[in-house]
Amino acid sequence: MSVHPNPGPAAGPLLKVEALRLKFGTREVLKGVDLTVRKGEVVVLIGASGSGKTSLLRCVNLLNLPSHGKITIGGEAIYSANPAARDGNGVPLATVNRIRAQTGMVFQQFNLFPHMTALENVMEGPVTVKKANRDATRREALDLLAQMGLADHVGKYPRQLSGGQQQRVAIARAMAMHPQVMLFDEPTSALDPELVGEVMKAMLDLARSGMTMLIVTHELGFAFEIADRVIFLDEGQIVEDGPPRDVLLRPTHPRLKSFVGRFHETADLLRPFLEGS
Amino acid sequence: MFHFDVITQNWPLFWAGLQVTLFYSAISISAGLVIGLVVGLIQLTGSRTLTIIGRVYVEIFRNIPLLVILLWIYYAFPIFAGLSITKFWAGFAGLSLYAGAFYAEILRAGVQSIDRGQTDASTALGMTYGQRMRRVILPQAFRRMIPPLAGQSIIQIKNTTLMSMITVPDLLYQASYVSSFTYRPMEVYTMVGAMFLVLLVPLTLLSRRLEKVSERVK
Repeated sequence: MSVHPNPGPAAGPLLKVEALRLKFGTREVLKGVDLTVRKGEVVVLIGASGSGKTSLLRCVNLLNLPSHGKITIGGEAIYSANPAARDGNGVPLATVNRIRAQTGMVFQQFNLFPHMTALENVMEGPVTVKKANRDATRREALDLLAQMGLADHVGKYPRQLSGGQQQRVAIARAMAMHPQVMLFDEPTSALDPELVGEVMKAMLDLARSGMTMLIVTHELGFAFEIADRVIFLDEGQIVEDGPPRDVLLRPTHPRLKSFVGRFHETADLLRPFLEGS
Repeated sequence: MFHFDVITQNWPLFWAGLQVTLFYSAISISAGLVIGLVVGLIQLTGSRTLTIIGRVYVEIFRNIPLLVILLWIYYAFPIFAGLSITKFWAGFAGLSLYAGAFYAEILRAGVQSIDRGQTDASTALGMTYGQRMRRVILPQAFRRMIPPLAGQSIIQIKNTTLMSMITVPDLLYQASYVSSFTYRPMEVYTMVGAMFLVLLVPLTLLSRRLEKVSERVK
């Protein structure tokens, strides 16, 4: 069922998270998370609200600063808890910004820049952060927007676009930075139901193109379709990690059973897939 | 009843006063905007020391009446500092520092009203603090700040009349002077009121228009 016929077990880890802890005040949101994502792999994070899945995603590009642990992208540490560190994160800020740019993030609320057109939104990262050539960036941005089915909307402002269109612009904006890994934080949760499909399709296309993706979602049917691996987080810890078939259809952990049970309608819809194969 | 020849005969004095009023309005609004930008932004850097410095400045100048500030700078400050200060500098400094405190608050509120997601999105693209401010936050915040900035500037123009108390020859000062030798306060002060109306009503209407425009771009 995986959209990646062949992620290849030999491929080295692209993203490595070790013993990650995150505290908000006195509340510990992540309690020692270990996670490895290979190049080209699509990993879906599920869990109840408050389980720490969004926090984990935001730690990967340091929008949240972990209180302990180590994060490595492409072999380069972007965070390593070290009390003597210059910026308190273990890595100089310039490095953080450079490597941050290698992760693309898509937010629940899109967070497009409202004072820029769709095209300008997509061009902003490369031009401002990477000081990329304007004309080349424009060509590439137009290309990305066309891939997202937005060729007719490049000159429009976010407020002139539907939620689904805005989210696809946001995906193009993140892709324009040539990220090594794309992070999606509940990308369809803020959308009207009839607009969810177009965003999911764009993400499936991206997955098929070989992009490494880490996705937080409540759409278990979508998780089943897109994921190579599904990870279930509960109270800041990974309690189950495996192929979608196992995690979603044959949950063993009691918390996961009750979590998936609450979505049993979705699970029932998936049963034919299981029995058909 | 009205003897408007009092106005026409002394028009050169009114005209000179109006020019002084406009001049001080322009320079104190400009300097106030610069002060406001600096004080507003240092409070947003996250540095505790800078934030406290900014707050202290803002609260001092927001909570002392402008007239007291002007009198203090002109009459009390020279004694403290042991140097003399011209009325030009006293008026300019008092008005600018006062305006700066209000502009700083407008700027801070404008920046803080921008959705947190904008900071997240620009940070995620790898932008530095300066790039985020310049490219994403300030352009949006400025649009929201136009109506309150226009409103504060109109108040600022009216506030320049307080400089007459430290003998800066503005419109009100000249009017008092004309009144003192013509004994026609009715015509003279009616004229001052009318001149401010002619000056500020168009500006008020303009700021209301800008308000509508800035609502549209939200």
